[in-house]
Amino acid sequence: MSLDDYQSDMEMCGRCSVCKFIPLEKVNGFQHVNVCPSISKYNFNAYSGGGRLNIVVAMLEGRVGYTDKLLEIVYNCQMCGACDVSCKYAMDMEVLEPINEFRIKCVEDGYTLSTLDKTITRLQKQGTMVPGAKSKRGNWADGLDVKDYTEQKVKIIYHAGCRTCYDKDLGELAKTAVTLLKKAGVDIGIARGEELCCGGRAYEMGYKDDSLRQAKHNMELFQKAGAEILVTGCADCYYTFKVLYDKFQLKGDLKVLHTVEYFDDLIKEGKLKPSKEFNALVTYHDPCHLGRLGEPFIHWKGEKIPGYMRRFDPPKQYRRGTYGIYEPPRDVIKSIPGIKLTEMDRIKEYSWCCGSGGGVKETNPDFAAWTAKERIEEAESTGAEAIVTACPGCNKSLKNAIKETGSKLKVYDVIELLEKSI
Amino acid sequence: MALEKHIYKIFEDIVGPENISQEPAVLDSYSWRQGQGARMDKFVPRFEAIILPKYTEEVQAIVKLCNRYMLQFKASSTDWATAGTRGGPNIIKIDLRRMSKIIEINEKNMYAVVEPYVIYAQLQAELMKKGLNCNVIGAGSNCSALPLAAHGGIGHMGQSASCGERNLLAVEWVTPEGEIVKLGSLGSADEWFCGDGPGSSLRGIIRGGISAMGGIGVFTKAAVKVYHWPGPSIFPIEGVSPHYAPSQTPERFMIRFFSFPSIEKMLEAERKIGESEISFELMGFNAAMIASNIATSNDEDFENLNRLRSLMKGHGFLVIVAGNSNREFEYQQRVLQKIIDETKGKSLELIEDPKIGGGLLWRCIRITASIRETFRATGTWGGALAGTDIFAKEVYHMEKAALIKKDLIRRGLARDDGGGILVWAQEHGHLGHGEMLLQYSTSPESIKGAVELATGSDRIALDDHYGVPHGIMGNEKHDMFGPYAYNYHLWLKKIKKAFDPNEAADPTFYISAKK
Repeated sequence: MSLDDYQSDMEMCGRCSVCKFIPLEKVNGFQHVNVCPSISKYNFNAYSGGGRLNIVVAMLEGRVGYTDKLLEIVYNCQMCGACDVSCKYAMDMEVLEPINEFRIKCVEDGYTLSTLDKTITRLQKQGTMVPGAKSKRGNWADGLDVKDYTEQKVKIIYHAGCRTCYDKDLGELAKTAVTLLKKAGVDIGIARGEELCCGGRAYEMGYKDDSLRQAKHNMELFQKAGAEILVTGCADCYYTFKVLYDKFQLKGDLKVLHTVEYFDDLIKEGKLKPSKEFNALVTYHDPCHLGRLGEPFIHWKGEKIPGYMRRFDPPKQYRRGTYGIYEPPRDVIKSIPGIKLTEMDRIKEYSWCCGSGGGVKETNPDFAAWTAKERIEEAESTGAEAIVTACPGCNKSLKNAIKETGSKLKVYDVIELLEKSI
Repeated sequence: MALEKHIYKIFEDIVGPENISQEPAVLDSYSWRQGQGARMDKFVPRFEAIILPKYTEEVQAIVKLCNRYMLQFKASSTDWATAGTRGGPNIIKIDLRRMSKIIEINEKNMYAVVEPYVIYAQLQAELMKKGLNCNVIGAGSNCSALPLAAHGGIGHMGQSASCGERNLLAVEWVTPEGEIVKLGSLGSADEWFCGDGPGSSLRGIIRGGISAMGGIGVFTKAAVKVYHWPGPSIFPIEGVSPHYAPSQTPERFMIRFFSFPSIEKMLEAERKIGESEISFELMGFNAAMIASNIATSNDEDFENLNRLRSLMKGHGFLVIVAGNSNREFEYQQRVLQKIIDETKGKSLELIEDPKIGGGLLWRCIRITASIRETFRATGTWGGALAGTDIFAKEVYHMEKAALIKKDLIRRGLARDDGGGILVWAQEHGHLGHGEMLLQYSTSPESIKGAVELATGSDRIALDDHYGVPHGIMGNEKHDMFGPYAYNYHLWLKKIKKAFDPNEAADPTFYISAKK
């Protein structure tokens, strides 16, 4: 769907401001009611979900043109989708989709930020947006006795993701995940240095063509390997393979699972048994792309039913964040003896973003850091010793915030905790 | 027309460059027509600039500058209503979003002091932790908890927590000329407990039945009266949006919806419920409001309404009783049943279902579904407003105005929601409020229909002596009603002139003293 197709959605905005807050039924106090990092930091209505829609309508109506300020507003958004969920508690309208479509329009019209252009150039040249030589991409898997799916057929493949491949600590996490999968008897393959960026972040930055190109290359690779199931420990990649590739109608029958889902199943089937105690009080941070954005894509095409009420034929099912991946990571954590899980105020579908999404980390690292610090403060308020997550992006973002704030919180990936217990 | 550079710079020096903007994109995000009272133009005129003060002193400085440079200002907080817009030449928007603190919750003297951008959801949640509660306006808990921010301050808990004009205590006010005035007890004792002294009382000046809608300066802090809360301190809401549901109905709480064979019977029931003081909440819902509240989508809403229409007798209301003890709760239930029997009311079984009723109970206490009820269906809403006065008077006003709405529906100019009105008794029955929702579209014919209803309803109020409705704002309407109501409009203009000689506060939704 193009931006024009969302005009009637955008014009439903009633300026009620619920896009700025967590769903009202879940407000339990004064603190931690804000859900959108952008409006929370910059305060002008333009930075809220609703304000963004107002601006796009203004653009479509020819009232505003491209300016530096407009682009600053457009790209100071993590595309975390929290506004979308809060709005759709009450409304039948799309919020995040048109915001993303507007970024695509900006790119098509040639209005981008140079930092993002450079990032995309890297993607075009070396198949990843992360700085680092392509030849080093597979280094994380050195010493792993695991199939290479670019050379032999395998039904289950593991995708590490760009951040993980080029970060030593995160690479260790991937290694742990593959080792644990093998330990549970899973026949799995990886692509080592041939692995490509999923293209998801490029899509959220507005570079649709580049994203589609990545998607096509990846699906060719997966199909050639005979892959039926893709497992990834990266929430961004998970969302891209599961949701965006489906949206592009490229996913086919490929089943996409996050490692927390796979491990949760293995534990419940008795194939993995966490037994060693790990005594700690922890809290869990829901990555946006695994949580609210991780619910399946819903294909729909239809017409508005004549009349005043906004209804469609066939009925339109909205993605409201309801069916994101919330319980599997929590169940894995709770399966570890000794661990106690305490929850933050903003969780699951109304979780606060870690700050690194949507290109913000690249274009405005201060804003990304501010957002992460907010999350660290919230995690600390629970009394937890550690914040656990299931996304390398969140992991790094939270760790950086801890470094800057001097917090004593520790950051773990779910896989790290699981490893300690097995 | 942008602000002149040197003027912009002075404003910028007050709040910092990051808190003022006159970028077209920013301005247009404040110019969207919104759903309420929507007209064909998608955007209303832009403000000259948007400014975001954080402290009262910054507001004061902004207001003084407006006076010096003959600019006008429009202050607003959460800004959900037509009155937050307007804009146009020479008007700057003071967005109070950065003023967002709960200053104090005083349990002993039962009040809370808030800045304008505290929302009801926050305040109510904090109060409930202390066994207290506040009136939440019917517009929803997404709105400012400042008792002067909202229009009438009318809400679902009018029986037990009254309405805006009653709940306003001491106030910190930046007058349209930029003077900081502390009203009520705040004026003499630095205490917030009373709006009427021992310091000067200007409650009747700064608001009447409705607030001044930005037309008489900026209210930077205010105390709101709070009430006893007999329920749990934390809300037992589970599930994932939009399918939130309480894990349990709190002890000694009951929710019911009753419909009645005639409006007279409903009035009698509400009077008796008020007299017996058994109700925590009494809200004049109709079938459409119930259908929307319990639905998570328009498709569900559509089906619900069809089902409810056949299940309900006629006019009705939703009632929640909440007991402090088992004995009291039993008494409340017995009295309620007796009243319903005497007035031939019929309970809607659907609401007796613990799951549906339990969800509705929390949504109606926390006022979280007003958006579902008002504009999910069509994206626009308007209608007719009565006042808050003798209950039966408001009911009959709306009953008569409902004929216009029904005719609009018959002519295909608005959504057919059954044509119901929303009327409910407040404060144990002697007061009541009435209104009527109209969900229309932005086609010229439909908009014309919406205007026909609003003006028609006002005409009925005038011709049939129902008093001044709450929808009367702006000179044209005040001039229409004033001569029939003790020339109040002349006094209002005098107030405006006395406190705002330069007409710095945008009078569009209040009154202008200019000829």
